[in-house]
Amino acid sequence: MKFSVDRDVLAEAVAWAARTLPQRPPVPVLAGLLVAATPEGLQLSAFDYEVSARIEVAAEVAEPGSALVSGRLLAEICRALPARPVEMSSSDAKVLLSCGSTRFTLLTLPIEEYPALPDMPAVAGTVPGDLFAHAVGQVSVAAGRDDTLPVLTGIRVEIDGERVVLAATDRYRLAVREIDWVPERGGISTVALVPARSLADTARSLSTAATVSVSLAGQSSGDGLVGFEGNGRRTTQRLLDGEFPKFRSLLPSESSSVAVVETSAFVEAVKRVALVAERNTPVRLSFTDGMLTLEAGSGEEAQASEALEAVLTGDEITIAFNPAYLLDGLAALDGSHTRIAFTAASKPAVLSGTSGPDAPVDDSYRYLLMPVRVAG
Amino acid sequence: MRAVRLVIARCSVDYAGRLSAHLPLAQRLLVIKADGSVLVHSDGGSYKPLNWMSPPCTLEIDEPGEADVAAGVEQVWTVRHTKSEDRLVISVHEVLHDVTHDLGADPGLVKDGVEGHLQVLLAQHVHTLGEGWTLVRREFPTAIGPVDLMCRDASGAAVAVEIKRRGEIDGVEQLTRYLELLNRDPLLAPVTGVLAAQQIKPQARVLAADRGIRCVTLDYDALRGLDDPTQRLF
Repeated sequence: MKFSVDRDVLAEAVAWAARTLPQRPPVPVLAGLLVAATPEGLQLSAFDYEVSARIEVAAEVAEPGSALVSGRLLAEICRALPARPVEMSSSDAKVLLSCGSTRFTLLTLPIEEYPALPDMPAVAGTVPGDLFAHAVGQVSVAAGRDDTLPVLTGIRVEIDGERVVLAATDRYRLAVREIDWVPERGGISTVALVPARSLADTARSLSTAATVSVSLAGQSSGDGLVGFEGNGRRTTQRLLDGEFPKFRSLLPSESSSVAVVETSAFVEAVKRVALVAERNTPVRLSFTDGMLTLEAGSGEEAQASEALEAVLTGDEITIAFNPAYLLDGLAALDGSHTRIAFTAASKPAVLSGTSGPDAPVDDSYRYLLMPVRVAG
Repeated sequence: MRAVRLVIARCSVDYAGRLSAHLPLAQRLLVIKADGSVLVHSDGGSYKPLNWMSPPCTLEIDEPGEADVAAGVEQVWTVRHTKSEDRLVISVHEVLHDVTHDLGADPGLVKDGVEGHLQVLLAQHVHTLGEGWTLVRREFPTAIGPVDLMCRDASGAAVAVEIKRRGEIDGVEQLTRYLELLNRDPLLAPVTGVLAAQQIKPQARVLAADRGIRCVTLDYDALRGLDDPTQRLF
C-alpha cells in the first residue's frame, strides 16, 4: 500500500471515522481504523458492532493495499500534522506516515481478524443534508438519556410515502418533527427506532451533504439496520428493539388558550429568571392579556421575576415548567416567535414556532412539555 | 464491655505526629469508643470528626501542668497511637456533659438491604425484564450458591438474573460462574443471563455484552411505586 493525500482531507476523514471507534474495545482489532487504498482513492473504516463508518476521499494511490492501525493514535497524529502533503505506505507489519520532515512509524493490527462491515441496506429515500441535521437535532433533545427505558433513548422514524415523522420522548417532553423527503419508490411505509445519540451525531456530520440517502433493513431481514450516506461518507447503525410509546395520542387535539411570545426575548428571560431556581424547581409562567410574567424561587430563597410582551388568545393561565426542558424546546423551535398552546395548568403544553402573532401556524415541529405541579 | 463515652466539653485540641493540627478553644463533642478510638466532633461537617485517633490507641487523663492551669485547663487527655508516635492532646477547660452507655453486641451494617428489596420487587414485577416472562423462583439453588432469580422468558427459555445495586465487573463474573454451572443441567440449558442493577458501569456493560449477558437498568422508585405518573406525559 502506498498513497499520498492532502493533509486537511486526511485529518478530516480520519477524525470523522475515528468517532465511531469504541471507547472500550472488547477485541483489540476494533480499536483499529482500516486504511484501504484503492485505484479510486482512499477509504477509511471503523466499526464497533453497533455503528459502522466508512469514508472515501481522493488520494493519489501508487500501490493499492490496506492496513489496520490504531485509530485513536492515527487521529491524534493527523490532527497534529503540519500543512504539507501526507504520504503513507505499508511495509511488513508497519505503516510509515510522512508529512514534510515529520515521520511516524505505526504498528499494524492483524487485518484478517477485523470484522466485515455490514452491507448498506437498500436505499429507501433521500433528504437534503442540512434539513436532515436540523430536524434530527430538533427531535434528539427530547430523547431519554438513561438506560432504564431503552426504547426512549431512540428516535422513532416513521416513513410514509413522501412524509417522514421523527419523534423522541423521555416521558417529560415529546418532540415531533415532520419533513418531506424523496422516497426511492412510491408507497413506502415503514418505521424504525434509531439510537438518538448516534443518529444526532451522524446527521450533524452529514449536514454539509447536498443529499443524504437513507437505507433501511427491517427487523424481518435479520437484525434491523439503518444506513446513511452522503458526501462520500456512509454509516450504518443497529436499530433498537422495542415498542415506542403511542406518541400521537399524547398530543392534545384542542387548546383553551394560545400565547405567542418573541422567542429570543423569552429564552433570555427564562435563563435569567432560572438562575434562582434551585435544582428540580420550576419557572412559573403567568399569561395575562398582553403580558407574560416569569417567576422563579420561593419565599425562603432568592426570587426573580420578569415581564414580557405576549399575545394571549383565550383563558388566562399560570403554568410552571422545568426551566432546562423549556429552554431545550425553545432552542429547537424555528421562526422568530414561540406559540404555546395550553389546555390546563396540569396538562402538557405544545410549543411550536411561528413568525409572528398573526402568522400561520407551523406544525412541522411540535414540542410537548409536561408542566410541573406547584403547591398552592 | 462495648461502652461508648460521650463528653461535651470546652477544649482545645492538638495533634502531633504524621501531621500537625490545632483546634482552638471551643465547645466540642468528644466520643471515646470501646475500641479505644477518640473522635472530636463539632456541630457540623456531618459524619466527619474534626480530629480523631484510630485504634489501637490508649487514652491517659492527666492533671494539667502549671502553665496550663494558669490558662484555665482542668484536665489534659493524651491519646497515643500504640504503633506510631502520633498523639492527640485534648486540653479540657470545662466538662459540660459526660455520659457512658453500653451499646451491647453490634449486629453489623446491613449493606445489601436495597439489593434484597430489589430482588423481592423484581420477583413481583418480572414483566419489567420482558413481556410474558414468568418467575421460576427466587434464590434458585446452584452448587456454588443461589442465583437471585430464575425466570422463563416468553418462549419458555430459562434466564438467570443477578440483581445488584451497582452493576460492576464482579457481578458479571458471578453471573458467568452461575451460567456455566446452570448450562450443564440438560433440563435447564440453554440458560441466558440478565444483569439487573440500578446503575451499570460501562466496563461491566462491555464485559456483559461480550459474554452475551443482557444488562437491564432498574428504576427502584418505579418498582416501589414511588414515582408519580401524573407528573409525566405517560
